[in-house]
Amino acid sequence: MSLFTAISISASGMNAQRVRAELITENLANADTTRTPDGGPYRRKDAIFSTAPLEGSFGSFAEALSSAGLGSYPGVSVSQVTVDETDPEKRYLPGHPDADADGYVAFPHINPAEEMVDLISASRSFQANVAAIGAVKDMIARSIDLLR
Amino acid sequence: MDWHVQIERAGVELGNYLGFLVRRQEVIASNIANADTPGYRSRDVASPADFSLALDEARASAFEVTGLAAHNDGNNVSIDRESRLLAENDLRFNVATQLLRGEFKELREAINEGRAG
Repeated sequence: MSLFTAISISASGMNAQRVRAELITENLANADTTRTPDGGPYRRKDAIFSTAPLEGSFGSFAEALSSAGLGSYPGVSVSQVTVDETDPEKRYLPGHPDADADGYVAFPHINPAEEMVDLISASRSFQANVAAIGAVKDMIARSIDLLR
Repeated sequence: MDWHVQIERAGVELGNYLGFLVRRQEVIASNIANADTPGYRSRDVASPADFSLALDEARASAFEVTGLAAHNDGNNVSIDRESRLLAENDLRFNVATQLLRGEFKELREAINEGRAG
């Protein structure tokens, strides 16, 4: 229990949103990728968030010091990265190296508009966490001012 | 009551209040961090009548906020509500530290004046 715990919680939020933004940009970059090491077209990825107790850095240190031991408020973590397993989009492109016998090429099932909306959402949520850290920094600075 | 007892008591009360505000800040940070977590429910801590109880019991008294609209994924975090609480908590902390500074200033003045005389 300390202001540093609050910073750790917000940092976990920033981390999770950054991972999400990375996956979204990966999806956008590979919107037209028809070949992957696993074979077949690229498949859309998405981050699944879940609440997670703080680990590492200030959080657990502060918890270890606190005798109350009631457990801190949860941060957030990416518990899973889901891969879209729906059938890929087929486009008729005979002559394409990846075309099947009927001349259809399997393309990733990615909607750029949807990805951009998710990207804005991730960016805003990241900003909200940054704002929370800014507020805590002010509070810490004012606590230090008490010593002056 | 002696003046120094009053100053000390005010200082302790303000310290407890600061502890409560820190606890509140943790809850707000947790709510904001989990704004996109499916199924997460907003939490808050009750404002106790007696802040000397606040330190350990505030965490125990954490409750789920009711009356918030839930999204399709079961998450009911309202970023607007949390931003308001963030700003409010910041201001409250400001007030408490300013008051505490005032207490310390008074104490320091008393020490220095005594020394001059």
